[in-house]
Amino acid sequence: MIEDYFLLALRNLKHRGIRSWLTLLGIFIGIMAVVSLISLGNGLKLAVASQFGISSTEVITIQAGGLTSAGPPGTAVTNPLEQSDVEAIDKLPTVDIAFSRILTSGKLEFNDIVGFGLAVSIPDGRARKFAYEAVELEAELGRMLKDGDVNKVVLGNNFYTNEETFGKPIKVGDKILLQDKKFEVVGILKKKGSFLWDNFVMVNEDPLIDLMDYGDKVDVIVAKVKDKDLMERSKEEIEKKMRELRDVDVGKEDFEVSTPDAVLGTVNSILGGVQAFIIIIASISIFVGAIGIVNTMTTSVLERKQEIGIMKSIGARNSHVFMQFLIESGLLGLVGGFVGVVFGLGIGFLGIYGINNFIGSEIILEIDYILIGASLLGSFLIGAISGVIPAWNASKLNPVDALRG
Amino acid sequence: MAGNESIRYSLRSISNRKTRSLLTVFSISIGITTIFIFISFGLGLYNYIQDSLSETSADKLIIQARGVGAPGLDTTFKLLEKDLRAVEKTSGVLEASGVYFKIGEVEFRNEKIISYVMGYDPKVPLIMEVFNIDIFSGRELKSGDSKKAVLGYNYLVSDKIFSRPVRLNDKIEVQGTSLKVVGFYEPLGNPQDDSNVYIVEDDIDTIFNDQNNSYGWIVARVNPNDVETISEKIEKSLRKSRDLEEGKEDFFVQTFEDMIESFLSILNIVVGFILVIAFISVVVSAVNTANTMITSVLERIKEIGVIKAIGAKNSEIFLIFLFESSFLGFIAGSLGVLVGWGISSVGGNVLDSIGFGFLAPAFPSALFIGSILFAVFTGAISGVVPAWNASRINVVDALRYE
Repeated sequence: MIEDYFLLALRNLKHRGIRSWLTLLGIFIGIMAVVSLISLGNGLKLAVASQFGISSTEVITIQAGGLTSAGPPGTAVTNPLEQSDVEAIDKLPTVDIAFSRILTSGKLEFNDIVGFGLAVSIPDGRARKFAYEAVELEAELGRMLKDGDVNKVVLGNNFYTNEETFGKPIKVGDKILLQDKKFEVVGILKKKGSFLWDNFVMVNEDPLIDLMDYGDKVDVIVAKVKDKDLMERSKEEIEKKMRELRDVDVGKEDFEVSTPDAVLGTVNSILGGVQAFIIIIASISIFVGAIGIVNTMTTSVLERKQEIGIMKSIGARNSHVFMQFLIESGLLGLVGGFVGVVFGLGIGFLGIYGINNFIGSEIILEIDYILIGASLLGSFLIGAISGVIPAWNASKLNPVDALRG
Repeated sequence: MAGNESIRYSLRSISNRKTRSLLTVFSISIGITTIFIFISFGLGLYNYIQDSLSETSADKLIIQARGVGAPGLDTTFKLLEKDLRAVEKTSGVLEASGVYFKIGEVEFRNEKIISYVMGYDPKVPLIMEVFNIDIFSGRELKSGDSKKAVLGYNYLVSDKIFSRPVRLNDKIEVQGTSLKVVGFYEPLGNPQDDSNVYIVEDDIDTIFNDQNNSYGWIVARVNPNDVETISEKIEKSLRKSRDLEEGKEDFFVQTFEDMIESFLSILNIVVGFILVIAFISVVVSAVNTANTMITSVLERIKEIGVIKAIGAKNSEIFLIFLFESSFLGFIAGSLGVLVGWGISSVGGNVLDSIGFGFLAPAFPSALFIGSILFAVFTGAISGVVPAWNASRINVVDALRYE
């Protein structure tokens, strides 16, 4: 029985004029906007995750508290972390190893051109291996830094591939000036697809502290937890230790201990907010589109009065007529939704391609089948709901009056 | 047929098809509402920016060092007193003053927050002229006002920064140093600036006794007729004082306008993007209107035939239908503007109450008129084709039409 409704509805849809299809524009555009924005948003989340370049899940980072909106870690803090904090955390039972990271702005001179950017410290000894592994750093050309490298740097991939800043690529063996001091480039990092890492200058910790006159201050402490299952326990342990070291009470912490999930969570919640806002605006056009369907269906009932009269006089029940119009209306919505999903995914692909080109990331669009399914079901339901009143009116027609036209 | 009569005929036909007309009006007005809301907030923001570009900032140049984060927080590139002296000595500079932007812990009655602490020299309060804010209560800082502070407006409001409001002559602690509150600035309308703490330059060294006390900005008041040349001269004297070659500057000199402009271009993109999305719903509703009009022409083919048979011209039929669709647009536009106005006003009040007063919507009369005209125009455009079709109907065919 239900198939009959669909067959009949499909046949009726075939006879529809351009007018009905135009009404679908609202649903089409709305669904297209929603699908493309959600796909793009998901892509952006992946892009953001790749910017941090955190691939290890057993990493905990510690930062001093401050106005995080005012600059990178360590800049806008009231009470910076110190080298002694690193040693204390390193000794905690759940912590495998902890190292300090310094993140400082600086100027790099090459080819008689000065550029400004960020330099990051690389720790010595056993921590070096972990520092490389935690963000999957590998040299594409030359080698990575090793213990005892003093006037040596490794550069992010963009210094090699992007000639715009310095007029020509910086190669392994080239001499550059960091803060007017001569350094030799010993390696170029493999492309990370991260705006940060591809532009970083890496220097061993001690030479960087000397060069920047950094003193005892530490911007970020990175700790590796012994086991993944110990993450929460370790986080609490570190927090307790830090409270002790900095002499603050519970709830008055002037530092932040975060797991990779938490860092991404913050970014994702901001992105999610932006996405939700845009989707609300896009939904307006879906709503307007639904009104369009009500309009079309009302007209369509008027136009097919005689047909309804005939159907009723040969035995169709009110419920039959109602179902027929309801399903027709739902199918109208579904068609709009389908076209919208196809175009939306297309825009999503183009957008991701654009993001990849822009920030040099290498993300791919993951097709979200739940999203597609929900959009199609949603558009069918929107169509059906818009058709309820016209279908009800149609089913209530008096056969005799309807036959008379 | 007289114009009045055509109008009356159109109005009657609209009211005869109440449901459909209502739906059409509804769909256009949603689009207009959305657009109205976004434009009113967008305009409000532009106004806010224009206001901050007052005449008092036109003769000021701002010097900032390279580096990351908020000005003055970078530890590699600093602006020091010798740089201020170099700027002061540059010809064309009338006076100059350095401003510190520090991050500090502010404590009041056992509650602690982190905020910007600004230090400046009250003898040369150029920074206050750039910010263009006045005292709300109490007084401004004077030179020699050691261990005194003026606070942003939000400290006066309970539960905004601290659960209890700070009052004049209260003591607050900044980085553990007790300061007496001598005044409050009027609201600037954004939560960050309204929670600033202002202290005199000399206190910065005692309160923040680390080695990095770099000026965030050096503000110079210059001869307003010659800003460009003086800016170049300042660059030259700073290059000399910092021992840098041309093209390798680790600082930049700009006007307040320059700083704001980069912000404006981002704002333009955001507002443009949102308007495009909102505009989509107007396009969709225009299609709806066209639909309604086509149906209405179809329904009245016989009627049109009769009107023509008793002497109506093609142009009159065209105008009747065009008027009908424009009128639908007009009602929708008026409705949309009213609803949009309501929503924007309420939204603006809510934003103001949570401290985002700079996001206040603006309602110039041009916005009201423009929005309604836009709706009328949308209605008219969607009505052109159906009206043209109606006017072209062959009388005989129309009368015969079943």
